Amino acid sequence: MSGLKPGEVNLGTSIMAVEFAHGVIIGADSRTTTGSYIANRVTDKLTEVHDTIYCCRSGSAADTQAVADIVHYYLQMYSVQNGKPTVPLAASLFQELCYQNKDNLSAGIIVGGWDKENGGSVWNVPLGGSLHRQPFAIGGSGSTYIYGYCDATYRDGMNQEECIEFVKNSLALAMSRDGSSGGVIRMAIITEKGVERIFVPGDKLPVHWEG
Amino acid sequence: MVIHAQPGWKSRISLRLAPSSKASSASSASVLDTSNSYGLHDTMRFGMRQIASEVSSKHPLENRLAEWDNTQMELKMNMARNMYGMHAPIKMAMERSLVIQARGPSMLPQRSNLGLDILAGKDESIDFEDYLNVPEMSTDMVDVHVVMERQIGIRA
Repeated sequence: MSGLKPGEVNLGTSIMAVEFAHGVIIGADSRTTTGSYIANRVTDKLTEVHDTIYCCRSGSAADTQAVADIVHYYLQMYSVQNGKPTVPLAASLFQELCYQNKDNLSAGIIVGGWDKENGGSVWNVPLGGSLHRQPFAIGGSGSTYIYGYCDATYRDGMNQEECIEFVKNSLALAMSRDGSSGGVIRMAIITEKGVERIFVPGDKLPVHWEG
Repeated sequence: MVIHAQPGWKSRISLRLAPSSKASSASSASVLDTSNSYGLHDTMRFGMRQIASEVSSKHPLENRLAEWDNTQMELKMNMARNMYGMHAPIKMAMERSLVIQARGPSMLPQRSNLGLDILAGKDESIDFEDYLNVPEMSTDMVDVHVVMERQIGIRA
């Protein structure tokens, strides 16, 4: 992504989040690159900002970590006085930080989580710092290769298993086409009960047409 | 910032994470800053003319580093304001100003301000200023009058 400063570490990335009846499924690849060197091939791009609120990070690794840290801190302080924060609140915080610092940041973030008022919700905060609630969201450099696939495959009202397959297949396709995405697929299922992590190793990835 | 999570109802409080690379005011000194009534550099008041400050441009990092602590403090104040209300940063600023003023004339200026360090959280960290250029090791001659004047503010 061209917004990086020289020497900065790129999160490359394919990230995705899908809402379903009881919560959200979030997923990401695991590749972090500095130029063409893969600095980390097992990165965890799914970052917790609260018990049942996670964010998927794409763009500059440093920028997204800094922003996620501040939101995490902010939500901790908030929850002491006001109880559990809602997902739109967390997304709103990300949006404020990304917009007000837009000249310095290169961060595309997808916020996904569960809260009592809204159930599961997915909020996309792309590069400029806008905020969009969507039934599913894709992001990162690899997402450009799967817009068609996702639009053709997504249906309203999928259950948890179908959503997991949707995320897994989409990310696998993105990872096979995008040079800056790869490694393993990390997913998280976020519901009222909490967070369950799923790990799909590199040799178990779904395989699309490979010629 | 919103405790209600409705998009469209936002405060305008700045949440800058890091200072910008450009200095807010002019980055290099101009002759006008030190000019006398003839328009030339006033050597009597300001010392010899320093070409370096007029010609050299600053490194982009220079302003970031100079403004770093201030920016972080302001971010904390703004977050506290959003979270707890106006009273929180006002109290924090009040404590800071009390501690800065608390230096008595008996205390040499070289001693670091413990109260300020505690408020900033620096008492729990070790940074380069704790082992480099430590005030206790300084060999400067101290003119108590000059120091006092600086403290009160009648001298630069």
